[in-house]
Amino acid sequence: MRPASRKSVWLTLLIAYVLYLLPWEGFGLLMRPDFVLLALLYWMLRAPRLCSLGTAWVMGLLVDVASGSYFGQHALAYSCAVFFLIQYHRRLVLFNSLQQTGQVFLLLLVSQLVLLVVKLMSGNELPGWSYFLSSVSGVLLWQVLVITRVIVAENRSSA
Amino acid sequence: MLSPMEHLHPTAFFIRGASPLARLAFYAILSIILIGVDARLHYLTEIRQGISVALYPLEVVARAPVDAYNHVSEYIHTQTTLVAENRTLREKALQDSENLQRFNTLQAENAHMRSLLNALPSLPQPARLGEIVHSGRDLFTRKVIVNLGTRHGIVPGQAVIDEWGVVGQVTAVYPLNSEVTLVSDNDLAVPVQVERSGLRAITGKNSSNSIGLPFLPVNVDIQPGDKLVTSGIDGVYPAGLAVCNVVAIDRKIDAPFARIDCTPSAGIGIHRQVLLIPAAVTMQLLPASPEPVDKSAAKSKPSGKKPNAPRKP
Repeated sequence: MRPASRKSVWLTLLIAYVLYLLPWEGFGLLMRPDFVLLALLYWMLRAPRLCSLGTAWVMGLLVDVASGSYFGQHALAYSCAVFFLIQYHRRLVLFNSLQQTGQVFLLLLVSQLVLLVVKLMSGNELPGWSYFLSSVSGVLLWQVLVITRVIVAENRSSA
Repeated sequence: MLSPMEHLHPTAFFIRGASPLARLAFYAILSIILIGVDARLHYLTEIRQGISVALYPLEVVARAPVDAYNHVSEYIHTQTTLVAENRTLREKALQDSENLQRFNTLQAENAHMRSLLNALPSLPQPARLGEIVHSGRDLFTRKVIVNLGTRHGIVPGQAVIDEWGVVGQVTAVYPLNSEVTLVSDNDLAVPVQVERSGLRAITGKNSSNSIGLPFLPVNVDIQPGDKLVTSGIDGVYPAGLAVCNVVAIDRKIDAPFARIDCTPSAGIGIHRQVLLIPAAVTMQLLPASPEPVDKSAAKSKPSGKKPNAPRKP
């Protein structure tokens, strides 16, 4: 595995952001994985020196601008998810890929739950259970990327 | 066993800086302040507009493949569908022409009546054709983004319609595009009138693809199949535009209000083109007295009460 550079981190985040900007419609919108958060989680796992809570917050603000929601909603959600990753980082890097996938799923859910609470408090109605499909598709995307060896975040000693 | 990632995070016992929890607290408080400022004080609109312009090239890049696909699929649209569409359109034009002929007479008659009544002349409404660029990215709201913005003279509060009825209202305007909240969004209230009985109501309590009519008593005169049209008393929507059709009414004896579900008349989510019509003329509630025209006119305007009212006539 090549050591990560700052450039590659920002490039990945930019690509994730452009994927977020694609004109998703209908069911695709419902199933849209949270690309930006996935990219953030990956880089936090692999190179926590290059990517911090502040990065997550800034990316969250950019997502807020693109989604037209109030400033700070996604920023708060991403910060919380990334905070849990930082807190359990030592443990996470020792997991094998399947265990890591489970943890990524939980982190995606944390972000969605925080967003849900903020949205409900700002007066939006409760969406259906399909709201959480985005986490499911996100974790599926993560697993596909792990299987295709696009991302390698686990400790090699277990492989 | 030595991990290959060992060099990425060296033994960092003393250079950690603030603890993650402290940092989270900092960012969380910052986020919450931002949410509050944005939601209540509306200070950040200009910043948002600036950033959205800066991000516009990125959006264009993201949209390019989808646009290309649409162009190609439009190009290879089979001839048969075009012929069928042509036939239906011709039939529709024939049906409409009859109404249209009567419309001219009626318009002339209406103008005459209004001049008799000394009422405000209803101005011919120049409308702008906008194209829906993409639907809103927020799962919690039902919005679409239209390719007209402040550059094209769009102001917040304009009504958006298609050939079947009201699509929604412009709620945020950026320099190059604007955000239209659909009638099925939970936040959008449209003053309506039952076409059959003339009963006035306001839509609200909408869910995913239906429009609700809250706060109508259980014994209200409304039936499934009733057509609801805009009442025109808000100064936003011209009167008489179709909004929705009543589908189901749930009259529970123990509930104070009837639960009424309607489906939107407009082809929400079908079309790519919509019409943005300028806000209707704000009417003066009282006839202006001859001398102090400016003062009384300014005061008699319904200023803060209607959230839907446009800022400028």
